[in-house]
Amino acid sequence: MDKPTRLYVYITLMIALLFQLFPWTGQGIILRPDFMLVVLLYWLLRAPYLCNIATAWVVGLLMDLSTGSLLGQHALAFTLTAFIALSFQKRLVLFSAMQIVSYVFALLVFTRFTLLILKLFAGHEAPSWHYFWPAVTSIILWQFLRLVLGSIARPKAGKAD
Amino acid sequence: MLKGVHQKLEPQQTPAFFVRGASPFSRMVFFCALSIILMAVDSQVNYLSKFRQAFIGGLHPLERIANTPSELIRDARKYFSTHNQLVQENYLLKQKAFEDQVKLQRLKALTAENEHLRSLLGGNVPIHPRAILGDISHTGRDPFRNVVIVNRGSRHNINAGQAVVDSNGVIGQVTRVYPFSSEVTLITDKNLSIPIQVERNQLRAIAFGQSGNTLDIPYLPTNVDIKIGDKLVTSGIDGIYPAGLAVATVTKIEQDPASPFAKIISTPTGEVSHHLQLLILELPDQIEADLHPKDQEGADSKETKSNKAERNG
Repeated sequence: MDKPTRLYVYITLMIALLFQLFPWTGQGIILRPDFMLVVLLYWLLRAPYLCNIATAWVVGLLMDLSTGSLLGQHALAFTLTAFIALSFQKRLVLFSAMQIVSYVFALLVFTRFTLLILKLFAGHEAPSWHYFWPAVTSIILWQFLRLVLGSIARPKAGKAD
Repeated sequence: MLKGVHQKLEPQQTPAFFVRGASPFSRMVFFCALSIILMAVDSQVNYLSKFRQAFIGGLHPLERIANTPSELIRDARKYFSTHNQLVQENYLLKQKAFEDQVKLQRLKALTAENEHLRSLLGGNVPIHPRAILGDISHTGRDPFRNVVIVNRGSRHNINAGQAVVDSNGVIGQVTRVYPFSSEVTLITDKNLSIPIQVERNQLRAIAFGQSGNTLDIPYLPTNVDIKIGDKLVTSGIDGIYPAGLAVATVTKIEQDPASPFAKIISTPTGEVSHHLQLLILELPDQIEADLHPKDQEGADSKETKSNKAERNG
């Protein structure tokens, strides 16, 4: 995919929502990657002119509605993550593939952490450490997504048109 | 025109305003404020429940698509279950039905007798709530809450607040109703409490959900008459859960000398993870719910009066 379009972004986000709605049970619900967040971060870092903080907020709101949590929790966490992701987005071309992966991993952990604080404020109990497992599975999903949709690392000199 | 990643490689002299619109920072501040307002409104006022219902109703087709793979696997498993298994299961079920029928005969006689005695005393006859059978479509997607989603919604006359039971005991309560599904909060959820009674000595208390799939009965003195293995049943004084349904069994009693209260931990008898069907009990009518406690009080006072009279006489 050379030039992603807006429609393409929305279709991939819808597919991510479908995976999010999949009836996860048992171990699956502990390990379930944050599909919507990973796809959102991918487009934020690759095509910020198609997908920006407003998109992140809407995606967060969709997450709130589909999980049945307090409206605005995921929206706030995703907005903050999107802001941090975009503030270093211009520097991303200088990063190596490994650095990009660790950057995304840090963003995923940050989202989980923000969400945890918001949930604790809303009066939920503190979960155990396996709450952060989805960040690991999400980064695996990120690698998979990179293969399917294309790398966001600096294009090779010969490839640039 | 170069776009996307390639555009970033070029040195950009002009301000990026016309490329990206408002600055990311101002966008971030705006949407954070919007999220915080939403959170405040959603947690304090009930305005957004209609919006949520409409959205989940619209999401229903997508949810059905997401559910198809697991349903297909389930159906395939059902199809390939062996003849031997079915025969065995059939035999066991027949045996169970026979045993239950014998018990049911006695129950009918007892119920009739009980109703007769109650009518003699002037008390009112307990209501037997009607129930709707529902299937668990999936567990909640929010790991912070103990909920299951049932495939019966407002289209099937489900209302928020209805009690949900399975064959072993109370499961929880309907908390949110969507057009085609509803959300059942389990009794082990921190936000749910249930009025209970110890079966052995009729002691009344309130059980609260606790983490780790257990219930906690707080604020009871250390010398309270509760033992490990005691069965807890619903007391029925809230007008939502009918009286006498099994709730939990006491599994652990901790006595901390520094605390004036005993720490009583019990495990629910109803098992959500073991089967897919559950019963949603109908709420008693509003009038009945209003009148019931008064009548009960009247009956109680009458009873005590007659007891006193007996004692005096």
